[in-house]
Amino acid sequence: MEWVETTGRTVEEALDVALDTLGVDEDEADFEVLEEPRGGLWGRREARIRARVRPISRAKPGEGRARPRRTREGGSGRSRRPTSEAVPAATGGGGTSDRRRRSGGRGGGRAAAGSVRSTPAATKETMVSEVPVEEQAREAETFTRGLIEAFGSPGTVAVEIDEDGGVLVDVTGPDLGLLVGQRGATLQAIEELVRTVVQRRTEGHGTRINVDVAGYRAKRREALAGFAEELAHTVQETGQERALEPMPASDRKVVHDTIAAMDGVSTISEGEEPRRRVVVRPG
Amino acid sequence: MSDEAPDFDEGFEDDDDFEDEIAGEGNRIVGGTARAVVEYVTRYLAEEPDAVDVELTERRGEIVLLVHASPGDMGRLIGRRGRVVQAMRQLTRAAGAAEGVRATVDVAE
Repeated sequence: MEWVETTGRTVEEALDVALDTLGVDEDEADFEVLEEPRGGLWGRREARIRARVRPISRAKPGEGRARPRRTREGGSGRSRRPTSEAVPAATGGGGTSDRRRRSGGRGGGRAAAGSVRSTPAATKETMVSEVPVEEQAREAETFTRGLIEAFGSPGTVAVEIDEDGGVLVDVTGPDLGLLVGQRGATLQAIEELVRTVVQRRTEGHGTRINVDVAGYRAKRREALAGFAEELAHTVQETGQERALEPMPASDRKVVHDTIAAMDGVSTISEGEEPRRRVVVRPG
Repeated sequence: MSDEAPDFDEGFEDDDDFEDEIAGEGNRIVGGTARAVVEYVTRYLAEEPDAVDVELTERRGEIVLLVHASPGDMGRLIGRRGRVVQAMRQLTRAAGAAEGVRATVDVAE
């Protein structure tokens, strides 16, 4: 799985979802606007983009994948590659160069964001399929297993590669509540680290990596979809909009997707991360 | 307009549920799990794992794991927008909670 395709009310919103799906920051991603958003008499059309983790060329990781690479590429610690000045091509319809509200964080030179190309599918990129997904899966498994061990937890780690070529790391066993944490915060942290490790140690850019512990994610998605549907029914009946509590982009997507299949209700996201939330509206 | 808050977390242990004071169990080193976790993650991520040292300090009743590493690895251990260190902080908190201690992590500048 190289590219992910996402939608949103604005290009930016679609990109937010994409970045969360890929688990990278904006300056590590390429994206293309497939469809500009359009509001109109006949209803809204969402912005549609596709994004992938920008492939970077660098030295192959050392042979032993279980060992960290010893080679250091430059002493700065940050920026493992030249910030290949992305060429932000003018967006076709104008408008959507509402360049990011995200302010760079530490370090200056991250202004140049993903290279936006407005011509849909104009370029069929050669996929530099670097390290096979199987190896990324093994790397994810090795790291996760060690992490669980460091916790002194008896959990079992299994990985699978889903039909889209994404990697799913599944930790199962008794008493894993601690590895889930409040509202999945610990699980989220584990996932973040697994992604970081895989991306740094293989050239596993562009692969979606998800971690679940004790079926938490699966259950939560299900519960969230059910909750969203119920709320949408309420909105249908009362004609009054309702807001959900702030949640991460991946969760918002579950809500958007669930409600998109229903009549007489629509959803938008509002607010700034991390307080961004979905609002369910009549109509 | 009030936020709707689904409660998905029943059945999952709350990792905030720990004693306030630092307490050890038998002879085990207090904060040992948190430290093991931090050492594991930082060595895994560092390009110079041998230069990584995790110092166990205490500050106002809280265990602070201070990560020392080669200057070239600092950025790697902090991560973009501090994402890596934030993730480690969360894991440290969880690992500490398992032992009944409050624990956090800092990357030494």
